[in-house]
Amino acid sequence: MTAFLLSPEFRVVFLGIFLLMLDSFTKTDKRYIAWAGIVGLVILFGFSFFPGLPEGVFPPGFYLSDPTALFFKRFMLLSTILTLALALDYSKVYQEYIPAGRPGAGLGEFYILPIFACAGFMWLVSAADFIMIFVSLELVTMCFYVLVASMRKNLLSLEAGVKYLILGALSTGFLVYGITWVIGLTGHTSLDGIREVLPIVPQGYQVALMFGLGLILVAVGFKVAAVPFQFWVPDVYQGAPTPVTAYLSVASKAAGFVVLMRVIEPFLTVPGLEQKIVTVLTVLAALTLLYGNLAALPQTNFKRLLAYSSIAHAGYLLVGVASVGAEASGPAVGFYLGGYLLMTFLAFLVLVHVGRVTGGDDISDFNGLGRRSPVLALGLLIAMLSLAGLPFTIGFLGKFLIFEAAMQSHQYLLVVLGAVTVACGFYYYLKVVRAMYWQPVVAEAPAIPVPVFTRFLIALLSAAIIIFGIYPQPLLAMLR
Amino acid sequence: MPLVLFWIFAILMLAFGLGVVFLRNPVSSALSLVMSFVALAALFITLDAFFIGVIQILVYAGAVMVLFLFIIMLLDLRGEETRRLNLAAWTGGGLVVAGFVGLLFKVVSTQPGFDFPKPPISRPEISDVALVGWTLFYKFNLPFQIIGVLLLVATIGVVLLSKKELK
Repeated sequence: MTAFLLSPEFRVVFLGIFLLMLDSFTKTDKRYIAWAGIVGLVILFGFSFFPGLPEGVFPPGFYLSDPTALFFKRFMLLSTILTLALALDYSKVYQEYIPAGRPGAGLGEFYILPIFACAGFMWLVSAADFIMIFVSLELVTMCFYVLVASMRKNLLSLEAGVKYLILGALSTGFLVYGITWVIGLTGHTSLDGIREVLPIVPQGYQVALMFGLGLILVAVGFKVAAVPFQFWVPDVYQGAPTPVTAYLSVASKAAGFVVLMRVIEPFLTVPGLEQKIVTVLTVLAALTLLYGNLAALPQTNFKRLLAYSSIAHAGYLLVGVASVGAEASGPAVGFYLGGYLLMTFLAFLVLVHVGRVTGGDDISDFNGLGRRSPVLALGLLIAMLSLAGLPFTIGFLGKFLIFEAAMQSHQYLLVVLGAVTVACGFYYYLKVVRAMYWQPVVAEAPAIPVPVFTRFLIALLSAAIIIFGIYPQPLLAMLR
Repeated sequence: MPLVLFWIFAILMLAFGLGVVFLRNPVSSALSLVMSFVALAALFITLDAFFIGVIQILVYAGAVMVLFLFIIMLLDLRGEETRRLNLAAWTGGGLVVAGFVGLLFKVVSTQPGFDFPKPPISRPEISDVALVGWTLFYKFNLPFQIIGVLLLVATIGVVLLSKKELK
């Protein structure tokens, strides 16, 4: 029983169940469910700084509580809090697209499902066993299937839901099949057990091991949006409710990378396999970098632009993973993801408000934002500069650390490719900045009112982007 | 396990599996899937996994597929029968499948051999049910609890996505 009360994941689940009950007794304003969720998650975020679960409460080999897991648990809590804040601002748009019998119907679930997804994410980053990985990944994906399709009166949302469901199911199939091969060859479901057995697996079985691992890589590739498994990304990102898109692009990607690094780690200890895995990752990284950045160039829709930019960032992260030989590769990937969280949520926060007033999410809807709402424009400016990787922002430092790790492990080709594609990035991110400051305002475009809490969040995220861009030591200390 | 039985049931399972994909009428597809599950259950039983075999028939072939059939019949899907073949999609899909099957054959053929003696899957002194129960509720207790949360989410999702008018 104490295990359930002390484990952070079960606390999040209890919070979700409590809010569900609160929801069924709420007849009036549903928005305070989101507020209760935010407050609850902030408290749980605070708890994560105190020693929590004693060792050995859960059976060994299932559940890890190393610094990486702790860092990413905080990461997931933070991104869920920000998602709920986005959902609050998005409520009005969301309500137009659900078949509600009375005002506020369906909103409760929209606020509560991300909390259950958060529990799944936290289990996922602690998982040290294939069964755990599979089960918590499914919990997360199930939440997203529902959330993506939940704006039922919007055809784009339904299309996104169907696409995500079918491709998600396909990738799950690959994952299970790959896991089966690995378990069959090693006789273990836990990564620890596999690490012990791998050295004595005969040479002849390595082809089959690589096959199983390859299938798992395909499935993880779907989750992190690596090329050539990225087909679903633009449509799903565009169709899903904006807060869900933000959550999907940050938390889902981070979880995918944590799983990727955890799963390949035992296999890297085998001399014959290491080289092959690094080669596969290098090819994936190169393709993802090129496709994501080049395809982002002609985009005119801001949400699709962010979708392609999310693919591009997956490419930089894969460069980090492909540099596994370097000591700094793990912390570099963690740091990059931390920065990615800050700047992506900042961009989506501005998008929610612009979209709420103008009713669209094309780049042309941002025309003259600098005069219509200086606060939003400044926030988006900082987000875009950081996403592009301008010095003195966290985006620059993240890329710097990744390239440093790549240099240490002699991945020179990837570094050159990365440097070239960063230049591409400057072009398409600054396109948005140009629209905001240099394009004339449409005559009838109204000013955009920004709530106090949103102003606070924009200030907080912008400050974090710049402060950690200059003084990254606290974040890096958490990862080492 | 008698090898003849393995081949019979394996071929049956694959044949009905192909039927699921290639039959144009959704009801026939669903019934093929039922038969495929039954053959799979027979394979489990020839491996001495009686409990799993029985559960396979009771849960999958019985409960789940009957529900599927109800839904298919209620929806009255006719579109599939009249749909014309999309050549590009067929070639693309065919290439991926062919590549995958080729890879699979290559992997299986490079194996040093699967015919070494293996220990029996079930131990006669412990019953199947006890073994499954121990694995599920003791060894994999934590994942089992997560499945509980997953089912809760699925229930919420079904209500949210399928109710005609949310209250």
